[in-house]
Amino acid sequence: MKHIKTLTTRDVKESMKKGGCGECQTSCQSACKTSCTVGNQSCEKAR
Amino acid sequence: MIHQYVSNGYNIVLDVNSGCVHVVDEITYRVIPLVEEALAQNTEGIGNLAAYAAGRLSESSEEPVEALALQEVIGEILELKEAGMLYTEDIYEQYIDEFKNRGTVVKALCLHIAHDCNLACQYCFAQEGEYHGRKALMSFEVGRKALDFLVASSGSRVNLEVDFFGGEPLLNWQVVKDLVAYGRSLEEPHHKKFRFTLTTNGVLLNDEILEFANKEMANIVLSIDGRKKIHDLMRPHRGGQGSYDEVVPKYKKVAESRNQMNYYVRGTFTRNNLDFAEDVRHLADEGFEQISVEPVVAADTEAYALREEDIPAILAEYDKLALEYIRRKKEGKGFNFFHFMIDLEGGPCVAKRLSGCGSGTEYLAVTPWGDFYPCHQFVGQEEFLMGNVDEGIIRTDIRDTFKRCNVYAKEKCRDCFAKFYCSGGCAANAYHFSGSIDGAYDLGCELQKKRVECAIMIKAALADEEKEKTL
Ligand code: SF4
Ligand code: SF4
Repeated sequence: MKHIKTLTTRDVKESMKKGGCGECQTSCQSACKTSCTVGNQSCEKAR
Repeated sequence: MIHQYVSNGYNIVLDVNSGCVHVVDEITYRVIPLVEEALAQNTEGIGNLAAYAAGRLSESSEEPVEALALQEVIGEILELKEAGMLYTEDIYEQYIDEFKNRGTVVKALCLHIAHDCNLACQYCFAQEGEYHGRKALMSFEVGRKALDFLVASSGSRVNLEVDFFGGEPLLNWQVVKDLVAYGRSLEEPHHKKFRFTLTTNGVLLNDEILEFANKEMANIVLSIDGRKKIHDLMRPHRGGQGSYDEVVPKYKKVAESRNQMNYYVRGTFTRNNLDFAEDVRHLADEGFEQISVEPVVAADTEAYALREEDIPAILAEYDKLALEYIRRKKEGKGFNFFHFMIDLEGGPCVAKRLSGCGSGTEYLAVTPWGDFYPCHQFVGQEEFLMGNVDEGIIRTDIRDTFKRCNVYAKEKCRDCFAKFYCSGGCAANAYHFSGSIDGAYDLGCELQKKRVECAIMIKAALADEEKEKTL
């Protein structure tokens, strides 16, 4: 495309099919302890 | 739903519900919202859409757009729409409802190993470690029962997380070691894996502790606020003298001995250092590569609390930090800043993204005497006392209230572009500032949204750099 560049992203819709296993880290256990940030976490299966 | 913004010269369009990120030229940036408008009015076909956009563009005082270019842009926009990468509908609400209605398992505990502290940090939400209560150390017995409870309540989950938290957990180090050993002994027979983490102020760190921690702890969080004067102001000993000089050399050792991975130096910024990018820079200059510096959460009666009027300065500081972050990455001297890290390619599934932080359901805090609270930030607030290690969860009503809490239960989050990265925010902050766990902490939201914008812009900038390299 000439006008639009798209970054590679995980298809969020697709993850409805395979996701939800719950093995991933609990959001607040990482570093923060005062806010909920999930965008920077990794999927346990994608590791 | 789209969210668009300009940052560091990039025109960024986030297709919220698919998670796609588009970097577009100026014309496209102007046209994308107009096409969304037109589609909402059931306009169809490239010609009609172009006519609508042309009409709307002519109302603006900005430069006109050539008809041919307009057609071309709309062609590309429609292509993305067809591919499910633009104007994607929100189809997740029911799915998240079903997800949240599944049986609850507990998979993470925050063990308050010591309600006591050897520092007297001014902003401590634990009030010098005591959480509005008494000084106390957790006994091995209580900790053992907590781990047994976790194993028994975790269903088929394999990975279990246990954070040794305080107060200052090193004040009760022997119990930490004994609990790690006990936890390990449970792994094989129960087919579980413990991931232990430690949060410390560093004062009591020594080689023996470090060696043990490097063997057993998946992550270590080291409290430090940045520049010496800032750190010492907020993190003094009880006698008033600062703690910077004694902890920094120890932290450097931790960082090196862990190969600059699986640790965080973690600071808090307050009204005293609205120029916190300087503190992050300082930590990076000291050689730390895993950095997290976060806004203080405090009642607005405190002099150091962040105020609404500070927001513009804080947002500008995040922008400044983002530029520095990119600059250093490009120079090969990069560091990670926890809140700018975003995993676009392998990030969590949508269930994780929208279902909230898990407090009160899959995550619980345990006091030194074995009481359960929804999370560390609710400890000491009796109305949230949920049960204890002997009887398990007694107040299932509290659990169910937290279980219902997700992005769609919160009016503000529903329409927020950041929901896929923020998961609806911190229930404790929401409660403390709005009186309800389904409310919002507005100041926190403003900062969260900014951080998400910066994080995405950084991805765009670094992707650009990659391309330059391969050309
Ligand atoms: S930033 Fe605020 S409104 Fe947006 S999802 Fe997070 S908590 Fe909700
Ligand atoms: S309520 Fe807030 S502090 Fe507690 S676990 Fe959730 S995000 Fe963390």
